[in-house]
Amino acid sequence: MAGVAPTDATASDAVGSQPLREVGGRPSVPAYVVEIWRRRHFAAAMPMEEMRAQHMTSVLGNLWHILNPLLLTGVYYLVFGVVLGTDRGVDNFMAFLAIGVFVYHYTQKSVMSGARSVVGNQGLIRSLQFPRAILPLAAVLAQLIAFVPPMLVIFAIALVTGESLAWSWLLLAPLVLAQGVLNLGGSLLFARLTHKVPDMENILPFLFRLAFYGSGVLYSVDRFIASGLGQAVFDLNPLYGYISMARWAIMGDAVSSTALVATAAWTVLALVVGFLYFIAGEQEYANE
Amino acid sequence: MSEAPPVTEASAAATTTMLRVDGAHVRYRVHTDRPPTLRERVTGARRAKPTYVEAVRGVTLDVASGDILGIIGGNGAGKSTLMRAMAGLLPPHRGRVVARSRPVLLGVGAALKPQLSGRRNIMLGLLALGMTRAEAEQLAPDVRDFAELDAALDRPLKTYSTGMKARLHFAIATTVAPEILLVDEALSVGDQSFKEKSAARLQELKERAGAVVLVSHSLDEGAETCNRVCWMRDGEIVMDGGPDEVVAAYRKTVPSKKRKKRAR
Repeated sequence: MAGVAPTDATASDAVGSQPLREVGGRPSVPAYVVEIWRRRHFAAAMPMEEMRAQHMTSVLGNLWHILNPLLLTGVYYLVFGVVLGTDRGVDNFMAFLAIGVFVYHYTQKSVMSGARSVVGNQGLIRSLQFPRAILPLAAVLAQLIAFVPPMLVIFAIALVTGESLAWSWLLLAPLVLAQGVLNLGGSLLFARLTHKVPDMENILPFLFRLAFYGSGVLYSVDRFIASGLGQAVFDLNPLYGYISMARWAIMGDAVSSTALVATAAWTVLALVVGFLYFIAGEQEYANE
Repeated sequence: MSEAPPVTEASAAATTTMLRVDGAHVRYRVHTDRPPTLRERVTGARRAKPTYVEAVRGVTLDVASGDILGIIGGNGAGKSTLMRAMAGLLPPHRGRVVARSRPVLLGVGAALKPQLSGRRNIMLGLLALGMTRAEAEQLAPDVRDFAELDAALDRPLKTYSTGMKARLHFAIATTVAPEILLVDEALSVGDQSFKEKSAARLQELKERAGAVVLVSHSLDEGAETCNRVCWMRDGEIVMDGGPDEVVAAYRKTVPSKKRKKRAR
Protein backbone atom coordinates (compact mmCIF):
# COMPACT_ATOMS: atom_id res chain seq x y z
CA MET A 1 0.00 0.00 0.00
CA ALA A 2 0.92 3.61 -0.19
CA GLY A 3 2.13 3.36 3.39
CA VAL A 4 5.06 1.27 2.29
CA ALA A 5 7.63 3.84 1.39
CA PRO A 6 11.18 3.02 0.42
CA THR A 7 13.63 3.69 3.18
CA ASP A 8 16.91 5.46 2.79
CA ALA A 9 20.18 3.92 3.87
CA THR A 10 19.04 0.55 5.18
CA ALA A 11 17.90 -0.56 1.76
CA SER A 12 21.43 -1.92 1.44
CA ASP A 13 20.83 -4.64 4.02
CA ALA A 14 18.19 -6.18 1.80
CA VAL A 15 19.07 -9.74 0.95
CA GLY A 16 16.04 -10.75 -1.06
CA SER A 17 14.56 -9.23 -4.13
CA GLN A 18 12.28 -7.08 -1.99
CA PRO A 19 14.16 -4.56 0.08
CA LEU A 20 13.16 -3.65 3.62
CA ARG A 21 10.73 -0.78 3.40
CA GLU A 22 9.29 1.41 6.06
CA VAL A 23 5.82 0.35 7.14
CA GLY A 24 3.32 3.15 7.56
CA GLY A 25 5.72 5.74 6.20
CA ARG A 26 4.52 8.93 4.63
CA PRO A 27 3.33 8.15 1.10
CA SER A 28 4.09 10.26 -1.94
CA VAL A 29 1.10 11.94 -3.53
CA PRO A 30 1.14 9.88 -6.76
CA ALA A 31 1.56 6.61 -4.83
CA TYR A 32 -1.35 7.60 -2.61
CA VAL A 33 -3.61 8.35 -5.57
CA VAL A 34 -2.68 5.04 -7.20
CA GLU A 35 -3.56 3.22 -3.99
CA ILE A 36 -6.95 4.94 -3.82
CA TRP A 37 -7.54 3.81 -7.38
CA ARG A 38 -6.58 0.23 -6.47
CA ARG A 39 -9.14 0.41 -3.68
CA ARG A 40 -11.88 1.89 -5.85
CA HIS A 41 -14.18 -1.10 -5.44
CA PHE A 42 -14.14 -0.67 -1.69
CA ALA A 43 -14.56 3.11 -2.02
CA ALA A 44 -17.65 2.53 -4.17
CA ALA A 45 -19.09 -0.30 -2.07
CA MET A 46 -18.91 1.63 1.20
CA PRO A 47 -21.37 4.41 0.29
CA MET A 48 -23.71 1.99 -1.49
CA GLU A 49 -23.87 -0.36 1.47
CA GLU A 50 -24.05 2.52 3.92
CA MET A 51 -27.12 3.83 2.14
CA ARG A 52 -28.63 0.38 2.05
CA ALA A 53 -28.02 0.10 5.79
CA GLN A 54 -29.62 3.50 6.41
CA HIS A 55 -32.55 2.50 4.27
CA MET A 56 -33.21 -0.42 6.60
CA THR A 57 -33.38 1.69 9.72
CA SER A 58 -36.31 4.04 9.06
CA VAL A 59 -39.78 3.46 7.70
CA LEU A 60 -39.44 5.79 4.74
CA GLY A 61 -35.75 4.95 4.29
CA ASN A 62 -33.94 6.76 1.51
CA LEU A 63 -37.12 8.64 0.65
CA TRP A 64 -35.91 11.10 3.28
CA HIS A 65 -33.21 12.28 0.89
CA ILE A 66 -36.09 13.82 -1.09
CA LEU A 67 -38.57 14.53 1.69
CA ASN A 68 -36.15 16.49 3.83
CA PRO A 69 -35.28 19.25 1.32
CA LEU A 70 -38.84 19.17 -0.02
CA LEU A 71 -40.33 19.89 3.41
CA LEU A 72 -37.70 22.57 4.00
CA THR A 73 -38.60 24.18 0.69
CA GLY A 74 -42.23 24.18 1.83
CA VAL A 75 -41.36 25.82 5.14
CA TYR A 76 -39.18 28.50 3.52
CA TYR A 77 -41.83 29.17 0.89
CA LEU A 78 -44.37 29.76 3.62
CA VAL A 79 -42.13 31.96 5.79
CA PHE A 80 -40.20 33.91 3.18
CA GLY A 81 -42.45 33.84 0.15
CA VAL A 82 -45.88 34.17 1.72
CA VAL A 83 -45.27 35.89 5.09
CA LEU A 84 -42.16 38.04 4.59
CA GLY A 85 -42.46 38.54 0.85
CA THR A 86 -38.82 38.07 -0.15
CA ASP A 87 -40.08 36.72 -3.45
CA ARG A 88 -39.82 40.22 -4.89
CA GLY A 89 -38.16 40.19 -8.27
CA VAL A 90 -38.42 36.45 -8.77
CA ASP A 91 -40.83 35.16 -11.38
CA ASN A 92 -41.01 31.59 -10.19
CA PHE A 93 -40.22 31.72 -6.49
CA MET A 94 -41.10 28.10 -5.81
CA ALA A 95 -38.61 26.73 -8.36
CA PHE A 96 -36.06 29.40 -7.40
CA LEU A 97 -36.31 28.39 -3.75
CA ALA A 98 -36.31 24.64 -4.39
CA ILE A 99 -33.12 24.80 -6.47
CA GLY A 100 -31.44 26.94 -3.79
CA VAL A 101 -32.42 24.68 -0.91
CA PHE A 102 -31.58 21.41 -2.70
CA VAL A 103 -28.23 22.55 -4.05
CA TYR A 104 -27.22 24.11 -0.73
CA HIS A 105 -28.19 20.97 1.18
CA TYR A 106 -26.17 18.79 -1.13
CA THR A 107 -22.95 20.51 -0.08
CA GLN A 108 -23.93 20.84 3.56
CA LYS A 109 -24.74 17.15 3.95
CA SER A 110 -21.66 16.08 2.02
CA VAL A 111 -19.20 18.15 4.03
CA MET A 112 -20.85 17.40 7.37
CA SER A 113 -20.75 13.65 6.83
CA GLY A 114 -17.27 13.89 5.32
CA ALA A 115 -16.08 15.77 8.40
CA ARG A 116 -17.35 12.96 10.60
CA SER A 117 -15.93 10.19 8.42
CA VAL A 118 -12.58 9.87 10.20
CA VAL A 119 -13.70 10.26 13.82
CA GLY A 120 -16.73 8.10 13.13
CA ASN A 121 -14.80 5.21 11.60
CA GLN A 122 -12.11 4.67 14.20
CA GLY A 123 -12.81 0.93 14.30
CA LEU A 124 -12.09 0.63 10.60
CA ILE A 125 -8.98 2.79 10.82
CA ARG A 126 -7.58 0.77 13.68
CA SER A 127 -8.08 -2.61 12.08
CA LEU A 128 -7.47 -2.19 8.35
CA GLN A 129 -4.80 -0.52 6.30
CA PHE A 130 -6.09 1.58 3.41
CA PRO A 131 -5.66 5.18 2.25
CA ARG A 132 -7.69 7.11 4.81
CA ALA A 133 -8.88 9.60 2.17
CA ILE A 134 -11.25 6.84 1.06
CA LEU A 135 -13.43 7.64 4.10
CA PRO A 136 -14.29 11.25 3.19
CA LEU A 137 -14.41 10.17 -0.45
CA ALA A 138 -17.00 7.50 0.33
CA ALA A 139 -19.04 9.98 2.38
CA VAL A 140 -19.10 12.43 -0.53
CA LEU A 141 -19.96 9.68 -3.02
CA ALA A 142 -22.87 8.59 -0.84
CA GLN A 143 -24.29 12.12 -0.95
CA LEU A 144 -23.71 12.31 -4.70
CA ILE A 145 -25.75 9.14 -5.21
CA ALA A 146 -28.36 10.42 -2.78
CA PHE A 147 -28.63 13.62 -4.82
CA VAL A 148 -29.94 11.89 -7.94
CA PRO A 149 -33.58 11.64 -6.82
CA PRO A 150 -33.64 15.26 -5.53
CA MET A 151 -32.37 16.33 -8.95
CA LEU A 152 -35.40 14.71 -10.53
CA VAL A 153 -37.59 16.45 -7.97
CA ILE A 154 -36.08 19.78 -9.03
CA PHE A 155 -37.06 19.01 -12.63
CA ALA A 156 -40.56 18.07 -11.53
CA ILE A 157 -41.02 21.27 -9.51
CA ALA A 158 -39.70 23.36 -12.39
CA LEU A 159 -42.12 21.71 -14.82
CA VAL A 160 -45.11 21.99 -12.52
CA THR A 161 -44.44 25.67 -11.79
CA GLY A 162 -44.35 26.53 -15.48
CA GLU A 163 -40.71 26.34 -16.62
CA SER A 164 -40.36 24.81 -20.04
CA LEU A 165 -38.15 21.85 -20.72
CA ALA A 166 -34.80 22.78 -22.27
CA TRP A 167 -31.53 21.12 -23.23
CA SER A 168 -29.76 23.29 -20.68
CA TRP A 169 -31.41 21.22 -17.94
CA LEU A 170 -28.94 18.46 -18.73
CA LEU A 171 -26.16 20.77 -17.56
CA LEU A 172 -27.33 20.16 -14.01
CA ALA A 173 -25.51 16.79 -14.10
CA PRO A 174 -21.98 18.15 -14.75
CA LEU A 175 -22.70 20.98 -12.32
CA VAL A 176 -23.56 18.47 -9.60
CA LEU A 177 -20.34 16.55 -10.34
CA ALA A 178 -18.25 19.71 -10.16
CA GLN A 179 -19.95 20.62 -6.92
CA GLY A 180 -19.07 17.13 -5.70
CA VAL A 181 -15.40 18.01 -6.19
CA LEU A 182 -15.87 21.08 -4.01
CA ASN A 183 -17.63 18.89 -1.45
CA LEU A 184 -14.75 16.43 -1.49
CA GLY A 185 -12.21 19.19 -0.90
CA GLY A 186 -14.26 20.53 2.01
CA SER A 187 -14.75 17.03 3.43
CA LEU A 188 -11.02 16.24 3.33
CA LEU A 189 -10.21 19.53 5.03
CA PHE A 190 -12.82 19.22 7.77
CA ALA A 191 -12.22 15.49 8.28
CA ARG A 192 -8.70 16.21 9.50
CA LEU A 193 -9.74 19.34 11.39
CA THR A 194 -12.49 17.40 13.18
CA HIS A 195 -10.02 14.67 14.08
CA LYS A 196 -7.59 17.26 15.43
CA VAL A 197 -10.16 19.34 17.26
CA PRO A 198 -13.37 17.40 17.96
CA ASP A 199 -15.16 20.68 18.73
CA MET A 200 -15.13 21.35 15.00
CA GLU A 201 -18.25 19.24 14.77
CA ASN A 202 -20.10 21.85 16.80
CA ILE A 203 -18.65 24.79 14.89
CA LEU A 204 -19.39 23.47 11.41
CA PRO A 205 -23.20 23.90 11.56
CA PHE A 206 -22.74 27.60 12.29
CA LEU A 207 -20.35 28.04 9.40
CA PHE A 208 -22.96 26.44 7.19
CA ARG A 209 -25.73 28.62 8.61
CA LEU A 210 -23.63 31.64 7.67
CA ALA A 211 -23.00 30.22 4.20
CA PHE A 212 -26.73 29.60 3.88
CA TYR A 213 -27.62 33.24 4.34
CA GLY A 214 -24.69 34.28 2.21
CA SER A 215 -25.57 32.20 -0.80
CA GLY A 216 -28.91 33.68 -1.84
CA VAL A 217 -30.98 30.59 -1.19
CA LEU A 218 -33.98 32.58 -0.02
CA TYR A 219 -33.92 35.75 -2.08
CA SER A 220 -32.68 37.26 -5.29
CA VAL A 221 -29.32 38.85 -4.50
CA ASP A 222 -29.69 41.45 -7.29
CA ARG A 223 -32.82 42.72 -5.63
CA PHE A 224 -31.70 42.89 -2.05
CA ILE A 225 -28.04 43.77 -2.26
CA ALA A 226 -27.57 47.24 -3.62
CA SER A 227 -23.86 47.88 -3.06
CA GLY A 228 -21.21 46.55 -5.39
CA LEU A 229 -19.25 45.31 -2.38
CA GLY A 230 -22.21 43.25 -1.20
CA GLN A 231 -22.58 41.68 -4.61
CA ALA A 232 -18.85 40.89 -4.67
CA VAL A 233 -19.14 39.00 -1.38
CA PHE A 234 -21.83 36.80 -2.87
CA ASP A 235 -19.90 36.35 -6.09
CA LEU A 236 -16.96 34.99 -4.13
CA ASN A 237 -19.07 32.36 -2.36
CA PRO A 238 -18.82 29.10 -4.34
CA LEU A 239 -22.16 27.92 -2.96
CA TYR A 240 -23.81 31.02 -4.39
CA GLY A 241 -22.02 30.19 -7.63
CA TYR A 242 -23.37 26.65 -7.83
CA ILE A 243 -26.87 27.73 -6.88
CA SER A 244 -26.82 30.50 -9.49
CA MET A 245 -25.53 28.16 -12.16
CA ALA A 246 -28.25 25.62 -11.40
CA ARG A 247 -30.86 28.38 -11.61
CA TRP A 248 -29.31 29.50 -14.87
CA ALA A 249 -29.47 25.95 -16.29
CA ILE A 250 -33.10 25.45 -15.35
CA MET A 251 -34.69 28.88 -15.17
CA GLY A 252 -32.40 30.89 -17.43
CA ASP A 253 -31.33 33.33 -14.69
CA ALA A 254 -28.16 35.30 -15.32
CA VAL A 255 -24.82 34.33 -13.73
CA SER A 256 -22.04 36.87 -13.31
CA SER A 257 -18.70 35.92 -14.81
CA THR A 258 -17.02 36.80 -11.50
CA ALA A 259 -19.11 34.16 -9.75
CA LEU A 260 -18.27 31.66 -12.47
CA VAL A 261 -14.52 32.16 -12.21
CA ALA A 262 -14.58 32.33 -8.40
CA THR A 263 -16.54 29.09 -8.16
CA ALA A 264 -14.18 27.24 -10.49
CA ALA A 265 -11.18 28.57 -8.56
CA TRP A 266 -12.64 27.59 -5.19
CA THR A 267 -13.45 24.12 -6.44
CA VAL A 268 -9.90 23.40 -7.62
CA LEU A 269 -8.36 25.10 -4.59
CA ALA A 270 -10.56 23.17 -2.15
CA LEU A 271 -9.61 19.84 -3.69
CA VAL A 272 -5.86 20.54 -3.79
CA VAL A 273 -5.62 22.11 -0.35
CA GLY A 274 -8.04 19.63 1.21
CA PHE A 275 -6.21 16.63 -0.24
CA LEU A 276 -2.71 17.79 0.68
CA TYR A 277 -3.82 18.79 4.16
CA PHE A 278 -5.60 15.50 4.71
CA ILE A 279 -2.76 13.21 3.64
CA ALA A 280 -0.24 15.19 5.68
CA GLY A 281 -2.10 13.77 8.69
CA GLU A 282 -2.36 10.23 7.29
CA GLN A 283 -0.34 8.66 10.11
CA GLU A 284 -2.17 10.28 13.00
CA TYR A 285 -5.69 9.04 12.26
CA ALA A 286 -5.33 5.81 14.25
CA ASN A 287 -3.78 7.32 17.35
CA GLU A 288 -6.89 7.75 19.47
CA MET B 1 -1.82 -4.66 0.43
CA SER B 2 -3.74 -7.88 0.38
CA GLU B 3 -1.68 -8.95 -2.55
CA ALA B 4 0.82 -10.97 -0.67
CA PRO B 5 3.69 -11.39 -3.06
CA PRO B 6 4.81 -14.98 -3.42
CA VAL B 7 7.74 -15.92 -1.25
CA THR B 8 10.71 -15.50 -3.51
CA GLU B 9 13.58 -17.88 -3.25
CA ALA B 10 15.87 -15.22 -1.93
CA SER B 11 13.58 -14.09 0.87
CA ALA B 12 12.74 -17.67 1.76
CA ALA B 13 16.37 -18.30 2.54
CA ALA B 14 17.00 -18.94 6.20
CA THR B 15 17.41 -16.06 8.67
CA THR B 16 16.48 -13.29 6.30
CA THR B 17 14.96 -10.41 8.21
CA MET B 18 11.33 -10.13 7.22
CA LEU B 19 10.24 -7.51 9.70
CA ARG B 20 12.29 -5.25 11.90
CA VAL B 21 11.09 -3.00 14.66
CA ASP B 22 13.76 -0.44 15.35
CA GLY B 23 13.61 1.40 18.70
CA ALA B 24 9.91 2.02 18.24
CA HIS B 25 7.94 4.26 20.58
CA VAL B 26 4.23 4.20 19.88
CA ARG B 27 1.77 6.47 21.57
CA TYR B 28 -1.84 7.38 21.28
CA ARG B 29 -3.87 10.36 22.23
CA VAL B 30 -6.18 10.24 25.22
CA HIS B 31 -8.51 12.69 26.86
CA THR B 32 -7.84 12.37 30.56
CA ASP B 33 -10.42 13.22 33.13
CA ARG B 34 -8.31 14.20 36.10
CA PRO B 35 -9.47 16.86 38.56
CA PRO B 36 -8.44 20.32 37.35
CA THR B 37 -5.63 22.16 39.07
CA LEU B 38 -6.31 25.57 40.59
CA ARG B 39 -4.60 27.30 37.71
CA GLU B 40 -6.68 25.40 35.20
CA ARG B 41 -9.80 26.28 37.18
CA VAL B 42 -8.95 29.96 36.88
CA THR B 43 -7.81 30.02 33.28
CA GLY B 44 -10.28 27.42 32.08
CA ALA B 45 -7.53 26.13 29.80
CA ARG B 46 -8.02 22.60 30.91
CA ARG B 47 -8.90 20.30 28.09
CA ALA B 48 -6.93 22.23 25.53
CA LYS B 49 -3.92 19.93 25.51
CA PRO B 50 -4.40 16.31 24.58
CA THR B 51 -2.22 13.96 26.55
CA TYR B 52 -0.42 11.01 25.06
CA VAL B 53 -0.01 7.56 26.46
CA GLU B 54 3.12 5.80 25.36
CA ALA B 55 2.06 2.17 25.03
CA VAL B 56 5.24 0.91 23.39
CA ARG B 57 8.51 2.31 24.70
CA GLY B 58 11.55 1.55 22.66
CA VAL B 59 10.98 -1.90 21.28
CA THR B 60 13.61 -3.42 19.01
CA LEU B 61 12.79 -6.69 17.37
CA ASP B 62 13.89 -8.70 14.37
CA VAL B 63 11.57 -11.25 12.85
CA ALA B 64 13.32 -13.65 10.50
CA SER B 65 11.75 -15.67 7.74
CA GLY B 66 10.24 -18.84 9.10
CA ASP B 67 9.76 -17.32 12.55
CA ILE B 68 6.55 -17.83 14.44
CA LEU B 69 6.94 -15.25 17.14
CA GLY B 70 4.60 -15.17 20.09
CA ILE B 71 4.16 -12.04 22.19
CA ILE B 72 3.00 -12.57 25.75
CA GLY B 73 2.40 -10.24 28.66
CA GLY B 74 -0.32 -8.94 30.95
CA ASN B 75 -3.16 -6.62 30.02
CA GLY B 76 -1.94 -3.18 29.01
CA ALA B 77 1.59 -4.35 28.32
CA GLY B 78 1.45 -2.84 24.83
CA LYS B 79 1.09 -6.06 22.83
CA SER B 80 -1.83 -4.93 20.68
CA THR B 81 -0.33 -1.50 20.14
CA LEU B 82 2.91 -3.08 18.95
CA MET B 83 0.92 -5.21 16.52
CA ARG B 84 -0.82 -2.14 15.16
CA ALA B 85 2.51 -0.45 14.68
CA MET B 86 3.84 -3.50 12.83
CA ALA B 87 0.80 -3.40 10.55
CA GLY B 88 1.39 0.26 9.76
CA LEU B 89 -1.92 1.25 11.30
CA LEU B 90 -0.36 3.29 14.07
CA PRO B 91 3.13 4.35 12.99
CA PRO B 92 5.68 4.89 15.76
CA HIS B 93 6.37 8.51 16.65
CA ARG B 94 9.97 7.56 17.33
CA GLY B 95 11.90 4.72 15.77
CA ARG B 96 10.49 2.81 12.86
CA VAL B 97 9.18 -0.43 11.45
CA VAL B 98 10.60 -1.86 8.25
CA ALA B 99 9.42 -4.94 6.42
CA ARG B 100 10.01 -6.86 3.24
CA SER B 101 6.33 -6.80 2.36
CA ARG B 102 3.36 -5.20 4.07
CA PRO B 103 2.52 -7.08 7.27
CA VAL B 104 -1.20 -7.79 7.49
CA LEU B 105 -3.09 -7.86 10.75
CA LEU B 106 -5.81 -10.47 10.56
CA GLY B 107 -9.21 -8.93 11.18
CA VAL B 108 -12.10 -7.33 9.38
CA GLY B 109 -14.86 -6.83 11.95
CA ALA B 110 -15.00 -3.05 11.82
CA ALA B 111 -15.77 -2.95 8.10
CA LEU B 112 -18.99 -4.89 8.48
CA LYS B 113 -22.38 -3.29 8.86
CA PRO B 114 -24.84 -4.72 11.40
CA GLN B 115 -27.95 -3.76 9.41
CA LEU B 116 -26.87 -5.66 6.31
CA SER B 117 -27.17 -9.36 5.56
CA GLY B 118 -24.32 -11.79 5.99
CA ARG B 119 -24.13 -12.18 2.22
CA ARG B 120 -23.61 -8.45 1.65
CA ASN B 121 -21.20 -8.21 4.55
CA ILE B 122 -19.03 -10.92 3.03
CA MET B 123 -18.66 -8.84 -0.14
CA LEU B 124 -18.05 -5.67 1.82
CA GLY B 125 -15.47 -7.37 4.02
CA LEU B 126 -13.59 -8.85 1.09
CA LEU B 127 -13.50 -5.48 -0.68
CA ALA B 128 -12.28 -3.88 2.54
CA LEU B 129 -9.37 -6.31 2.52
CA GLY B 130 -8.34 -4.81 -0.80
CA MET B 131 -9.83 -7.19 -3.34
CA THR B 132 -11.42 -6.15 -6.58
CA ARG B 133 -15.10 -6.89 -7.04
CA ALA B 134 -14.31 -9.79 -9.36
CA GLU B 135 -11.89 -11.34 -6.88
CA ALA B 136 -14.39 -10.90 -4.07
CA GLU B 137 -17.20 -12.49 -6.06
CA GLN B 138 -14.97 -15.44 -6.83
CA LEU B 139 -14.04 -15.99 -3.18
CA ALA B 140 -17.44 -15.27 -1.62
CA PRO B 141 -18.84 -18.84 -2.00
CA ASP B 142 -15.86 -20.29 -0.12
CA VAL B 143 -16.34 -17.78 2.67
CA ARG B 144 -20.05 -18.61 2.86
CA ASP B 145 -19.29 -22.31 3.11
CA PHE B 146 -16.59 -21.85 5.70
CA ALA B 147 -18.70 -19.58 7.94
CA GLU B 148 -21.53 -22.16 8.01
CA LEU B 149 -24.26 -19.53 8.19
CA ASP B 150 -26.75 -21.53 6.13
CA ALA B 151 -30.22 -20.03 6.53
CA ALA B 152 -28.91 -16.97 8.39
CA LEU B 153 -26.96 -15.82 5.34
CA ASP B 154 -29.65 -13.37 4.25
CA ARG B 155 -30.53 -12.12 7.71
CA PRO B 156 -29.05 -8.87 9.05
CA LEU B 157 -25.74 -9.30 10.85
CA LYS B 158 -27.17 -7.79 14.04
CA THR B 159 -29.47 -10.79 14.45
CA TYR B 160 -26.51 -13.17 14.55
CA SER B 161 -25.36 -14.92 17.69
CA THR B 162 -21.88 -14.12 18.99
CA GLY B 163 -20.60 -17.40 17.62
CA MET B 164 -22.07 -16.82 14.17
CA LYS B 165 -20.58 -13.34 14.01
CA ALA B 166 -17.20 -14.62 15.06
CA ARG B 167 -17.33 -17.37 12.43
CA LEU B 168 -18.19 -14.85 9.73
CA HIS B 169 -15.35 -12.51 10.78
CA PHE B 170 -12.88 -15.34 10.86
CA ALA B 171 -13.96 -16.70 7.48
CA ILE B 172 -13.61 -13.30 5.80
CA ALA B 173 -10.36 -12.28 7.48
CA THR B 174 -8.55 -15.51 6.66
CA THR B 175 -9.13 -15.27 2.91
CA VAL B 176 -5.95 -13.23 2.59
CA ALA B 177 -2.63 -15.05 2.78
CA PRO B 178 -0.04 -12.40 3.56
CA GLU B 179 3.68 -13.06 3.54
CA ILE B 180 3.99 -11.47 6.96
CA LEU B 181 1.02 -12.44 9.08
CA LEU B 182 0.01 -10.71 12.31
CA VAL B 183 -2.60 -12.34 14.53
CA ASP B 184 -3.96 -10.63 17.63
CA GLU B 185 -5.48 -12.81 20.34
CA ALA B 186 -6.85 -16.27 19.86
CA LEU B 187 -8.94 -16.13 16.73
CA SER B 188 -10.18 -19.68 17.05
CA VAL B 189 -13.83 -19.31 17.82
CA GLY B 190 -17.20 -20.96 17.98
CA ASP B 191 -18.12 -24.44 19.09
CA GLN B 192 -15.69 -27.31 19.27
CA SER B 193 -15.99 -28.41 15.66
CA PHE B 194 -15.52 -24.89 14.31
CA LYS B 195 -12.60 -24.35 16.66
CA GLU B 196 -10.81 -27.27 15.12
CA LYS B 197 -11.62 -26.09 11.63
CA SER B 198 -10.43 -22.55 12.33
CA ALA B 199 -7.27 -23.76 14.03
CA ALA B 200 -6.50 -25.81 10.91
CA ARG B 201 -7.12 -22.80 8.68
CA LEU B 202 -4.87 -20.63 10.82
CA GLN B 203 -2.18 -23.30 10.72
CA GLU B 204 -2.42 -23.34 6.94
CA LEU B 205 -2.00 -19.56 6.81
CA LYS B 206 0.98 -19.73 9.13
CA GLU B 207 2.62 -22.33 6.95
CA ARG B 208 2.11 -20.25 3.85
CA ALA B 209 3.39 -17.08 5.49
CA GLY B 210 7.05 -16.20 5.50
CA ALA B 211 6.80 -15.02 9.09
CA VAL B 212 4.11 -14.91 11.76
CA VAL B 213 3.72 -12.71 14.81
CA LEU B 214 0.92 -13.57 17.19
CA VAL B 215 -0.34 -12.16 20.43
CA SER B 216 -1.44 -15.08 22.50
CA HIS B 217 -3.44 -15.01 25.69
CA SER B 218 -3.38 -18.71 26.23
CA LEU B 219 0.16 -19.53 27.29
CA ASP B 220 -0.02 -23.20 26.51
CA GLU B 221 -1.19 -22.60 23.00
CA GLY B 222 1.47 -19.95 22.51
CA ALA B 223 4.27 -22.23 23.59
CA GLU B 224 3.02 -24.96 21.34
CA THR B 225 3.03 -23.15 18.01
CA CYS B 226 5.83 -20.60 18.40
CA ASN B 227 9.52 -21.10 17.89
CA ARG B 228 10.26 -17.90 19.76
CA VAL B 229 8.49 -15.84 22.40
CA CYS B 230 8.79 -12.22 23.54
CA TRP B 231 7.52 -11.15 26.90
CA MET B 232 6.29 -7.57 27.12
CA ARG B 233 5.76 -5.49 30.23
CA ASP B 234 4.97 -1.76 30.43
CA GLY B 235 5.67 -1.26 26.76
CA GLU B 236 9.06 -2.91 26.76
CA ILE B 237 10.35 -6.33 25.91
CA VAL B 238 11.73 -7.86 29.08
CA MET B 239 12.65 -11.25 27.65
CA ASP B 240 13.12 -12.72 24.21
CA GLY B 241 13.97 -16.34 23.58
CA GLY B 242 12.79 -19.91 23.26
CA PRO B 243 9.14 -20.48 24.15
CA ASP B 244 9.75 -22.79 27.10
CA GLU B 245 12.14 -20.57 29.01
CA VAL B 246 10.23 -17.33 28.38
CA VAL B 247 6.87 -18.80 29.26
CA ALA B 248 8.33 -20.38 32.38
CA ALA B 249 9.85 -17.06 33.47
CA TYR B 250 6.60 -15.24 32.77
CA ARG B 251 4.58 -17.78 34.71
CA LYS B 252 6.63 -17.12 37.83
CA THR B 253 5.46 -13.49 37.85
CA VAL B 254 1.78 -14.33 37.35
CA PRO B 255 0.01 -14.73 40.72
CA SER B 256 -0.98 -18.32 41.37
CA LYS B 257 -4.67 -17.43 41.45
CA LYS B 258 -4.50 -16.20 37.90
CA ARG B 259 -2.46 -19.16 36.87
CA LYS B 260 -5.15 -21.52 38.06
CA LYS B 261 -7.67 -19.63 36.03
CA ARG B 262 -5.58 -19.87 32.91
CA ALA B 263 -4.85 -23.52 33.44
CA ARG B 264 -8.55 -24.24 33.65
